[in-house]
Amino acid sequence: MILIPCPHCGERNVSEFQYVGEALTRPNPDGVDPEQWRSYLYLRSNPAGPTVESWFHRAGCRRYLKVERDTVTNEVTSVTLPGRGGPQP
Amino acid sequence: MAEPAVIARSPITPAEPPSVVDGWEVSGRRSGAGLTLVDCMPLAKILVRAAPDGAVGRWLGTPFGRAGTNPDGVLVTGSGPDEWTLFGPHGSGRALVGAVEDLSGERELVSALDVTHGRTLMRLTGAAARPLLSKLCAVDLGNAVSPNSAVFRSSVAKVITDVVRDDRSGVPSYLVHCERSYGSYLFGALLDAGAEFGIEVDGYTSTEMRGV
Ligand SMILES: [Zn+2]
Repeated sequence: MILIPCPHCGERNVSEFQYVGEALTRPNPDGVDPEQWRSYLYLRSNPAGPTVESWFHRAGCRRYLKVERDTVTNEVTSVTLPGRGGPQP
Repeated sequence: MAEPAVIARSPITPAEPPSVVDGWEVSGRRSGAGLTLVDCMPLAKILVRAAPDGAVGRWLGTPFGRAGTNPDGVLVTGSGPDEWTLFGPHGSGRALVGAVEDLSGERELVSALDVTHGRTLMRLTGAAARPLLSKLCAVDLGNAVSPNSAVFRSSVAKVITDVVRDDRSGVPSYLVHCERSYGSYLFGALLDAGAEFGIEVDGYTSTEMRGV
């Protein structure tokens, strides 16, 4: 069982959360070309190893969280609230 | 005297004998059991969204994860990082929404929504309330993590449920509420889990908010 330590609610069972996807930096819609936009919308790197992704705490605080997880070991190394800058949920 | 008219019903079928309180069809049963479950549907429930440091947030006073009773006897629960659920006596919903709206002024973004009929509220009281709830919910209910007045939202019997610990005269008691449509199921699940502890359904009385 994966436990995700929510900054608001504490350690909770993964079944309380909804997986949203890889956290990506949204390109500026002014001046982005179709290729970049398509890549932002549809392409994911899907690594075997550490990755940064968004999860939604559906059965708790109802907040989006930025979760660093190893996709091989399922070890969650960090959970933070999404802030400004960097990949956003 | 004519029977008072029923204008509102809980999703939970009231245990015999039926009774009417303020237009709500409730159970008139009186149980003396050590562990009881009460359908508290008639209590006013107000969902407030506001900034914690705004005028409304400061007036409400309780932080996320805690509950407190304000001078008007309204139970204010911090149900989310910028979200509160207020419980007042039956029929007080409109006044509570008005009180929040009056405070919010024009500059603050605040929403106050009367969800009295939209959420199912029940009260579980008794020495065995904690072991019962522990069968259905993974959150640590011990005093270190969930003391009296603790508030959290989690999965209870696989339903997204808000739990408020609100002890009554030193006896462990939990207010449990979820979306209306899951209420009947959750009520049944609590009764089922409580069978081994001798749980009984108790009726709703108009003094339900007193001493909260
Ligand atoms: Zn949370």
